[in-house]
Amino acid sequence: MALYHHSQARENCGFGLIAHIEGAASHRIVRTAINGLDRMQHRGGISADGKTGDGCGLLMQKPDSFFRAIAEENGWNLAKKYGVGMIFLSQDPVKAAEAKAIINKEIARETLTLVTWRTVPTDSSVLGPLALESMPQIEQVIVNAPHGWGDHDLERRLYMVRRRVEQQLSADPDFYIPSFSSLVTVFKGLMMPADLPRYYTDLADIRMETAICVFHQRFSTNTMPRWPLAQPFRYLAHNGEINTITGNRQWARARQYKFASPLLPDLQDAAPFVGQTGSDSSSLDNQLELLLAGGMDLFRAMRLLVPPAWQGNRVMDDNLKAFYEFNSMHMEPWDGPAGIVMTNGQHVACNLDRNGLRPARFVITRDKLITLASEVGIWDYTPDEVVEKGRVGPGEMLAIDTTTGQIWRSDEIDTDLMARHTYRSWLNDNVQRLVPYEKYETDLIGKRVFDDDTMQVYHKLFNYSYEEIEQVMTVLAKDGQEAVGSMGDDTPMAVLSRKPRNLFDYFRQQFAQVTNPPIDPLRESHVMSLATSIGREHNVFKETAGYARRIQFESPVMMYSDLKQLRQADEKYYKNQVFSLNFDLQQQNLEQATRSLCDKVVSAVRDDNVVLVILTDRRIEQGLIPIPAAMAVGAVQMALVNAQLRCDSNIIIETASARDSHHFAVLIGLGATGIYPFLAYETVEQLVEKGTINLSARQAVLNYRKGINKGLFKIMSKMGISTVASYRCSNLFEAVGINKDVMQLCFADLPSRIGGASFIDFEQDVQQLANIAWLKRKPMNHGGLLKYVHDGEYHAYNPDVVTSLQKAVRSGKYEDYLVYSNHVNQRPVAHLRDLLQLATDTDGVALAEVEAAENLYPRFDSAAMSIGALSPEAHEALAIAMNRLGGRSNSGEGGEDPRRFGTEKNSKIKQVASGRFGVTPHYLVNAEVIQIKVAQGAKPGEGGQLPGEKVTAEIARLRYSVPGVTLISPPPHHDIYSIEDLAQLIFDLKQVNPEALISVKLVSEPGIGTIATGVAKAYADLITVSGYDGGTGASPLTSVKYAGSPWELGLAEVHQALVENGLRDRVRLQVDGGLKTGLDVVKAAILGAESFGFGTGPMVALGCKFLRICHLNNCATGVATQDETLRRDHFTGLPEMVMNYFKFLAREVRELMAELGVTELTQLIGRTDLLNAKASETQKQARLDLTPILQASGVTSDKPLHCVKNNTPFDPGALNQLLLQRCEQMVINKTGGQLSLPIRNTDRSVGAALSGFIARKHGNQGMATDPIRLRFTGTAGQSFGVWNAGGLHLALQGDANDYVGKGMTGGQIAIFPAKGASFAKNGFAIAGNTCLYGATGGRFYAAGQAGERFAVRNSGALAVVEGTGDNCCEYMTGGVVVVLGGTGVNFGAGMTGGFAYLLDEQDDLELRLNPELVEALDVSTPILQEHLRSLLHQHVEETGSDKAQRILSDFNNYLSKFKLVKPKTSDVNTLLGHRARSSAELRVQAM
Amino acid sequence: MAQNVYQFIDVKRIDPPKRSHSERTIEFVEIYQPMTNTQVEGQADRCLDCGNPYCEWKCPVHNYIPQWLKLANEGKIIEAAELSHKTNSLPEVCGRVCPQDRLCEGACTLDEGFGAVTIGSIEKYINDKAFEMGWRPDLSAVIKTDRRVAVIGAGPAGLACADVLVRNGVSPVVFDRYPEIGGLLTFGIPPFKLEKEVLSRRRDIFESMGIEFRLNTNVGVDVSFDSLLDEYDAVFLALGTYTPMKGGLVNEDAPGVYEALPFLIGNINNLMGWQTEHPFVSLKDKTVVVLGGGDTAMDCLRTSIRQGATKVSCAYRRDEANMPGSRKEVQNAREEGVEFLFNLQPLGIEVNSEGRVCGVKVVSTELGAPDAKGRRSPEPIAGSEQVLAADAVIIAFGFQPSPPQWLIDMGVELDTKGRVIASEQSPYALQTNQQKIFAGGDMVLGSDLVVTAIAQGRKAAEGMLDYLQV
Ligand SMILES: Cc1cc2nc3c(=O)[nH]c(=O)nc-3n(C[C@H](O)[C@H](O)[C@H](O)COP(=O)(O)O)c2cc1C
Ligand code: SF4
Ligand code: SF4
Ligand code: F3S
Repeated sequence: MALYHHSQARENCGFGLIAHIEGAASHRIVRTAINGLDRMQHRGGISADGKTGDGCGLLMQKPDSFFRAIAEENGWNLAKKYGVGMIFLSQDPVKAAEAKAIINKEIARETLTLVTWRTVPTDSSVLGPLALESMPQIEQVIVNAPHGWGDHDLERRLYMVRRRVEQQLSADPDFYIPSFSSLVTVFKGLMMPADLPRYYTDLADIRMETAICVFHQRFSTNTMPRWPLAQPFRYLAHNGEINTITGNRQWARARQYKFASPLLPDLQDAAPFVGQTGSDSSSLDNQLELLLAGGMDLFRAMRLLVPPAWQGNRVMDDNLKAFYEFNSMHMEPWDGPAGIVMTNGQHVACNLDRNGLRPARFVITRDKLITLASEVGIWDYTPDEVVEKGRVGPGEMLAIDTTTGQIWRSDEIDTDLMARHTYRSWLNDNVQRLVPYEKYETDLIGKRVFDDDTMQVYHKLFNYSYEEIEQVMTVLAKDGQEAVGSMGDDTPMAVLSRKPRNLFDYFRQQFAQVTNPPIDPLRESHVMSLATSIGREHNVFKETAGYARRIQFESPVMMYSDLKQLRQADEKYYKNQVFSLNFDLQQQNLEQATRSLCDKVVSAVRDDNVVLVILTDRRIEQGLIPIPAAMAVGAVQMALVNAQLRCDSNIIIETASARDSHHFAVLIGLGATGIYPFLAYETVEQLVEKGTINLSARQAVLNYRKGINKGLFKIMSKMGISTVASYRCSNLFEAVGINKDVMQLCFADLPSRIGGASFIDFEQDVQQLANIAWLKRKPMNHGGLLKYVHDGEYHAYNPDVVTSLQKAVRSGKYEDYLVYSNHVNQRPVAHLRDLLQLATDTDGVALAEVEAAENLYPRFDSAAMSIGALSPEAHEALAIAMNRLGGRSNSGEGGEDPRRFGTEKNSKIKQVASGRFGVTPHYLVNAEVIQIKVAQGAKPGEGGQLPGEKVTAEIARLRYSVPGVTLISPPPHHDIYSIEDLAQLIFDLKQVNPEALISVKLVSEPGIGTIATGVAKAYADLITVSGYDGGTGASPLTSVKYAGSPWELGLAEVHQALVENGLRDRVRLQVDGGLKTGLDVVKAAILGAESFGFGTGPMVALGCKFLRICHLNNCATGVATQDETLRRDHFTGLPEMVMNYFKFLAREVRELMAELGVTELTQLIGRTDLLNAKASETQKQARLDLTPILQASGVTSDKPLHCVKNNTPFDPGALNQLLLQRCEQMVINKTGGQLSLPIRNTDRSVGAALSGFIARKHGNQGMATDPIRLRFTGTAGQSFGVWNAGGLHLALQGDANDYVGKGMTGGQIAIFPAKGASFAKNGFAIAGNTCLYGATGGRFYAAGQAGERFAVRNSGALAVVEGTGDNCCEYMTGGVVVVLGGTGVNFGAGMTGGFAYLLDEQDDLELRLNPELVEALDVSTPILQEHLRSLLHQHVEETGSDKAQRILSDFNNYLSKFKLVKPKTSDVNTLLGHRARSSAELRVQAM
Repeated sequence: MAQNVYQFIDVKRIDPPKRSHSERTIEFVEIYQPMTNTQVEGQADRCLDCGNPYCEWKCPVHNYIPQWLKLANEGKIIEAAELSHKTNSLPEVCGRVCPQDRLCEGACTLDEGFGAVTIGSIEKYINDKAFEMGWRPDLSAVIKTDRRVAVIGAGPAGLACADVLVRNGVSPVVFDRYPEIGGLLTFGIPPFKLEKEVLSRRRDIFESMGIEFRLNTNVGVDVSFDSLLDEYDAVFLALGTYTPMKGGLVNEDAPGVYEALPFLIGNINNLMGWQTEHPFVSLKDKTVVVLGGGDTAMDCLRTSIRQGATKVSCAYRRDEANMPGSRKEVQNAREEGVEFLFNLQPLGIEVNSEGRVCGVKVVSTELGAPDAKGRRSPEPIAGSEQVLAADAVIIAFGFQPSPPQWLIDMGVELDTKGRVIASEQSPYALQTNQQKIFAGGDMVLGSDLVVTAIAQGRKAAEGMLDYLQV
């Protein structure tokens, strides 16, 4: 009943495989795998008991020699072919016996012979209390196959045995089958990796041999552990999160009836094939095992499930694209960060997601072992043993066939796949691609169909407003982009509103935060696709030409020409039927009409061979009302799935209701294949005719669709989803305020946690709109949702609230404040908390007994608001005010001027956001709190925006960016694609500033409790839960309106999750978003918060009048502008005004606490008895049930319900401590010095502590002239050289994992192989992913290849590297990058500053560049040529690079192969002379 | 149109030009010249389109100001006029007479430091221009009901009520005892603020919309109220306020002491050739002192100027900051030659040997100590008495409701000051205690503004529509 459930789990982790390439089995492989797992301890999670791991395990070949040996010992008769089942049984002997009996029965049914049940020897003394509590009884069942059966014969029947057993034992929560196979065996559980062989003593038995071992260590975002969720699963281990899982699961249900294989005639008996609950990885394993059981080979199966980004790939072979296109017709991608290692006992393979969001590094040693894992260096080979070092890149696959010893590289696998059939000719013969609108010739386009009177009726019936037409639709049609606005959504949630709101408004977009990353749709759109196809799906176990019969088009947003062509398509294959959504309320109610619609559709698809289901609300008529489009689509989708007809049909919706991108996303997310927004197009044409839009009707409509397409990309990318095929049916929305009756019929797969509006309420809303629509004299809705309009929608920051607050903070009088607080506290219900009121039957205490206001101020933060968004004067006034009070101000994501450090203008909270603007070691050490901005309430899943007009020279300097260029931060942190990545970033920050508390900012969303648990286990000290309604300086309007949910839900869920996982007492929980009065604070405290963030409130106190033009740089109050006139002459804010505001707040809080009889704020936490339900003001409100919130917040515990201790990482960072100890005096005395030390993969963030110490003592560059030179040998762990300060030179002989030089601001990093290393000849992986992320200076030399996203957000570093993966130099704003090898694709996406020299030996650079902002030129001028030569010299000097030496020896010949890549806007002749340099750096170079 | 987001800095607030002093001091015509379209566009473009449009919030009819400013900027006059009529029944009138400096323009974000958008002038312009272009409200979509409402009083409250009623299919019949519509708009407000042709045009417009006027008809005299109650489905009372507030001064009833409204009405009748109960009073060549600080006082001052008075002064008991009259009115009066004397409280009228007024005895005031609520009242300064020479004194202390006897006989509830008790928050807005009777404007609010009367008229119409189940 409460908000958080233990069944909710997200997981990420360390993974790997080790195999003998030629199949030689040994115990060494088992030992090494376990050792490797132990060396990735830091990528796993540990429960609150400090001993229970989140799960680890091994998937290995069935250890034949071991079983035959113990069979001999025990007198068992093992047949030539036998299978071993690893079985988790209940500790209850009755249940266990029952389960065994069922298994025995099913074994016999398959004519298999039971050999024996074997109790697996275990030692539970090594387990933590939590693991012990949930430990199953673990037994193995051994069965013999009849003579003559092959391995795969047995495998298939064992699959059926298992499925039948699972179906019969679904009610036993303790029963689970980790593996049941003649080929593979799984050992897994909730222990630490080092304890694997101590718990499973078989693993320590040297007879336990395998040639293949897949291993995994789990970091789960909850600590109510379950043994079955440990990995590996039966075929695979997965690192990452499948963002598309909700869609994948629904499609698995939908196409269940399609699967058939002659190899498994009774396959349907095994249904349902894919688990609908549990972890996403387990469902992926289910799907894979189905495909393998049905006879599909591993290569095709994996490429079908996790394909590369083929749609936008300009370097991919056309025949390979044909293979992928053909297969995409029958299954949507399982998409999201994915490093997958798998084995079927013969093959072992690794597969990466299309975007390369997980690391996979491999090493092949001379003993024929291949080790592939999340990290390199997880066991101690020596350099001379290494034959090859590489990595698996985005969309790539690496496989080994241990029976033949063949290594399959990605391109070899692809060549094999595309050659299997003539896919291209199949497609050419059978795919009909719609003629695009741009090429479609007809006179009807551009002609208005409806006159103005008719338009008026439609607009009123479907609840359009002037405001929306003017501010949303006109902008889309003019600019081909969504409108940008400022500040948050201060209107009520749809269910709380007194106005009729569109059904779409009840849906809140879900978004990726922490456990998976959103995609950057601006810079990484090459992995995304809106391509849509129409036609029946077919059985994936069969491939024929006829299965390619499809109609294809480029976007689910259909034009007139698209729908027309569809309707004219061959009825034999694409029979269509139209179903009207308009019904007569006199004859049936809304629910009945919806059910009736579903019945008609199901009947038509089943009985009339209809493929194209066209739902339409076009034919409006007085007396009829439309079923809301979302209800229709949701209900029809579910009906078709339940009737096993969805994959033989497509849902097209022709609707007047869809006009902004959210509407389209909801319809697609609920199941629509295509959408024809006829009224939106007519509206655009009307605007053209009226002269509001000065374009042709055709162009305006195209622009409009282009804008919607961009919006869809944004919404999909917010959840990390690349293709619309995966987004369709994903149901990635939370319904806020929809009641169970509607949810069950229309939206069963969406969360709806507090009830709300029923069918009758929606009926009344539509009826009310219809009444107005058909009364000609009634005007269209003027608006008021976006901006305040008298008598329009309620706004929380309305003129009364703003003016009364400003009066109060200027007068300093509490009675003035009370006028303000009454406007807020007595408003009509606008937020969920307004439905709860404080108890009045309490025994109060004297005010003097309540803790002093001074104790409350440290609980108040001014929320993150970037300098850039705010004027410097406003930003400083906030800092001064909070510092004087004893609270904390937050820098926001725009950096901060170092001149403020050490003064009362310093922001005690420094924010680290995805753009890494201004994040240098000096910035970080001047923080008491460092906040990782994962999401922001106004636009979760997206990056911050600062319009170019506000990027002055000063702001650009602070942000290490380019003046005048709009700054849109990436949606993801490029070093957080997973929970263990966040743990690494938190570790990085604690190393650079050991005194700072680390905060993580999240946004309310279903599942945030699980995420927060993971964040706490990642050792965060504070968690901020932001509500959807928080402010912002600039954001697309639909992002503000539709993403994220109320903090009342998120805070309660997080509080409950942390308490139940035993973590609440080590995390300080903060809330922000729409907080205005002391009553808000008290309610938030009761729901679980102990800290409170205020953004808009203190801004209004400083003079903001809520003009919502922050993004235009013309804020008339001087608060949110960089315009000098406005700041100088019109900013009147004083720190005292902000101080008055917080003093008023504290006084009100104290008064309320006194009334409640509470003397300390933390005593409020969890006291839901102090909240009573307030009488509802509307019928919809009356149907809301807030008890889930109260139950979640009211959870009890033995431990304190607030933070009382630090959250100290398990890893002490020993090497960093040693470096500090050895170098401390070198820093203090600025002498510099030298050191040499060994290094291992477990040594993480090396150099961070020293850099922080340098920065604290001397700033970023103070040591530059007297460097400390450190030399390491071995494999460096993650974040080698993170935030490297000037004066620190790191040399590494060996290789490094991810994030080398992240945030580097000075000094030097050089990485090179051991002298004479044989693998170095041909290019090799020397560093991991996302190196130099956010670097602002310094020099980086790597004599090898780096991974993906090299130099992303680089703004000043100089780098020479010998190859990179994809997305190199993404969003680079300064610095120089030299790449002497391959560059991957999408080079230079969003690059606005700096430049690169690329050695283009293949002469295909044009195909790899992102051409939007950069261009490639010859290195033609002598000065550039000499510059390049000098860089190569330096590279040879620092690394001894053979390749660079070769180039220098033959420089003039190589020169023609070099290209200079630079932003189009920069002048090639001034590239060198105008690079930003620090004075210290210049001095160093002079010397 | 490419928008200059810094227009509000680059372009200053510029009011429409005024006629020359020589013209203004002798002519009873509107002092502001019409704006040109380029002026309108440049000024309208200054609007920030605020997230909180304080202009709209403060305007009593809550006009969609930023939206019609945008339309004005784009040259879409007809659309702008249509939009302005969605909230205001007499926008061209309000544009002329609203004290914008206390309402929309005073609340405008730009009023602090930049100069407010010239909302009123643009409101006037877009509507005058639209009428000039031939635009008229289009009621072709309205389906007529069989309901009829009697509206008593053709002032702004009654006109607004009729406007909303007719737009919703109800037939209003408007009664007024005067020969022209407008109430105080026509007979009280001087032509230099509101030319009378504006109201005659309004009558044409309203009649074309289907509003019936029965002028020169005094309810209670020419027609009984009872008969109206019987004949119509509902009645709206918009009789205004006409009982002048006395100053309680010695010799207040002496010859040469005039009450503001009869003086003003008489002047208008003289100009327009109408006959009402108020005679024309000429102040040519006289020394005039006007007592009071509201807009009525301003009108008396400026009318006296135009009549050719030798000297015209205003005596007000508080300081300039506390005057209820709008800033622009004071400024206009000063420009036309009026002398303002602040912090003077009148004590009595001085009469000469013939019993006619010859001066006003006043005493200087200063603000006293703050009371419990922090307010400071003017207190006389002992020994500071003086006499202001005057041939004529005009008492402009405001008005109170003058409810007719038939209203009292009907049992309609009044407060202690004679105002009808009716609330906007009632289930049927502005319904009195008598079910069929609604009331609004000055007779409910007390002496107030044109725009507040309009707001109440519109609100009452909605209440009646709900009551009549239309
Ligand atoms: C002008 C402005 C700029 C903001 N900049 C940031 C930012 O840089 N980083 C961030 O995490 N949140 C930012 N926010 C959001 C606030 O940190 C905070 O979550 C939100 O404003 C709190 O809600 P409230 O505005 O209703 O008080 C900004 C908000 C505003 C109003
Ligand atoms: S009616 Fe009066 S207050 Fe309202 S906008 Fe017009 S001039 Fe301003
Ligand atoms: S307050 Fe002024 S600037 Fe703001 S919307 Fe109104 S007129 Fe425009
Ligand atoms: S909302 Fe923004 S534009 Fe200025 S007045 Fe407030 S900072």
